[in-house]
Amino acid sequence: MTIQLRIAIAVEARKLFASRVVQAATLLIVVGIATLTGSLAAAASSGNEQILAQLGDLADDDGWDRLVGIAIQITSAAGLLGFGVVMAYVVGREFTDGTISGLFALPVTRATIAVAKVVVVLAWTAVVAACLISVVIAIGVVGGYGLPNRAATNLLVRLFVLTVLSGALAVPAAWAATLGRSLLPGIAITIGTIASAQVLVVAGAGAWYPPVAPALWAIDPQHVTTVQLGLTLVVAAVFTAATVHSWARLQLDR
Amino acid sequence: MADARLSARGLCRLFPGGAGLHALDLDVNEGEVHALVGLNGAGKTTLMRLLLGMLQPDAGTVRVCGHDLRTADPTVWASVGHLIDHPLAYPELDCTANLTIAARLQGVPSTQVAAVVEAAIADFELSQYAHVRASRLSTGNRQRLGLGAALAHHPELIVLDEPTNALDPRGVIALRELLLTRARRGAGVLISSHQLDEVARVADRITVINRGSAIGSLDPTGIDIERSFFAMIHTHDEAHQS
Repeated sequence: MTIQLRIAIAVEARKLFASRVVQAATLLIVVGIATLTGSLAAAASSGNEQILAQLGDLADDDGWDRLVGIAIQITSAAGLLGFGVVMAYVVGREFTDGTISGLFALPVTRATIAVAKVVVVLAWTAVVAACLISVVIAIGVVGGYGLPNRAATNLLVRLFVLTVLSGALAVPAAWAATLGRSLLPGIAITIGTIASAQVLVVAGAGAWYPPVAPALWAIDPQHVTTVQLGLTLVVAAVFTAATVHSWARLQLDR
Repeated sequence: MADARLSARGLCRLFPGGAGLHALDLDVNEGEVHALVGLNGAGKTTLMRLLLGMLQPDAGTVRVCGHDLRTADPTVWASVGHLIDHPLAYPELDCTANLTIAARLQGVPSTQVAAVVEAAIADFELSQYAHVRASRLSTGNRQRLGLGAALAHHPELIVLDEPTNALDPRGVIALRELLLTRARRGAGVLISSHQLDEVARVADRITVINRGSAIGSLDPTGIDIERSFFAMIHTHDEAHQS
C-alpha cells in the first residue's frame, strides 16, 4: 500500500466515522434489521398465523434456524439499500458540499481518494455486519435459544458474508454519484438494483444476476455456485475501476 | 529575473455558447502577488481551474513550479495551496480535524501535522473554534478555515479565488498580512478579487480579465484604479461589439 493510499484511507475513515449520516445509517441498519428480526421471530414463536404465512419455508423451522433465516431475508434487501445510500453519500457529498475542488492539485491523487472511499465503506460494512451478528446472537440468547450451535454458527457466518457482499454490491452507487455529481443518482441506482433483483428472481434469472446471488446463497448455499457468488465481487471490482477512472479524469465543467 | 511559480501559455477553453477563455498567457513569479480582476463571468475562476487541472484546456500549456501540469508529481502538488469556489471544510469535523486532514492530504509529514495545524489556527484567529464543528461556523469563519487549510503547509504557489469573500475587516487584514509575508519569503501568489482597493494594497501586478481574455494590466500604485479598470473594460467591450 502506498503512503498516499494510507493517507487517503485515514482521511476518509475520519470523515466517515464522524458523519452523522453514517452513524444514523449504522444504527438504522443494525437496530432496524435486528428489531424486525426479533419481532417476526417472536410473533412466529407465539403462533401468529399471518406472520407464519409470510415466512414461507422458515415457518417450519424454529430456534436459531428461523431467527437467522429471518435476518438473512431482511438483510438481503435492507442491507443493500442502506449501504447504497452511504456509498452514494460518501462520494456524492463532495460534489454537493463543493469540497471536490479542494481535492484537486494535491499530492494524494483523486484516483487514490476514490479507492480509499470504496475501501473505507467496505470496511464499514464489515463493522456493520459484525454489529448485526452480535445483536442477532444477543436476541437469540435472550430469546432462550441458548448459545449458537454449529449449524447456527454456520448460518451466522452466511449472514455476515451476505452483509459484506451487500456492501460490495453498493459500489455502483459510487460511480453513479460521480457521473451525476450528486448522491441522488447513487441512491437511484441502488433502488433500481433492488427492484430489478425482485423482478429477475420472479423471472427466473436467479443466482446468475449478481445482486441476487448473495441472498440466495445465504438462504441455501447448495443452489448457488462459487462462480455465481464470485460475480458479485466482479461487479464490485468493475464499478470500483469505473469510479476510479472517472475520478482520475474528473473535470469541474458542470 | 525571478523563477516562475506558475506560467500559462496560449490557454484556451471554450464552453458551448462561446463563453470561456481565449489564448491567455499568465505568469506568477517567485515572491510576487499577482491579482486578477474582472467583472462577474469574466473568466477568472475558469482560468484558475485550468491552472490547477480542474479543467482540461482545449489548447495551451500550464507549468507549475517549472513542471508541466499534466505530468506533475506529488512533490510538485505538495508545494501548491489553493482555495477555489468552496473551502475544504467538512461540516461533521471540527476546525482542528479539518485542518489536520487538509495537512495530511497536502503531504505534511505526520510528525509535523500538529504544529502546522496549531499555526494555521493562530494565523486565522480560529482558536476559540478549534473544537467546533464546521457546520456550526459562520460563513466568514468557514472561509477562514478554508484559507487555513489551503495555506497551512506553507506552499510555494498560492492560488486563491476571491479569498476575502465573507471575511470581516479583521480577517481581510490578517489575510493580507499573511499573503505579503508568504510572498516576501518567496511564494508566488495568484488571487482574484472584485475589490479593487484591497487588490491594490496587496498586489505587485494586476491583470484585467474580460470576456475570457487578458485585456491589460493596472498599476497597483495608480491614483484612480477604479476609473482605469472601467475604462479598460469599456474599451474592450466596445471593440468586441463593433
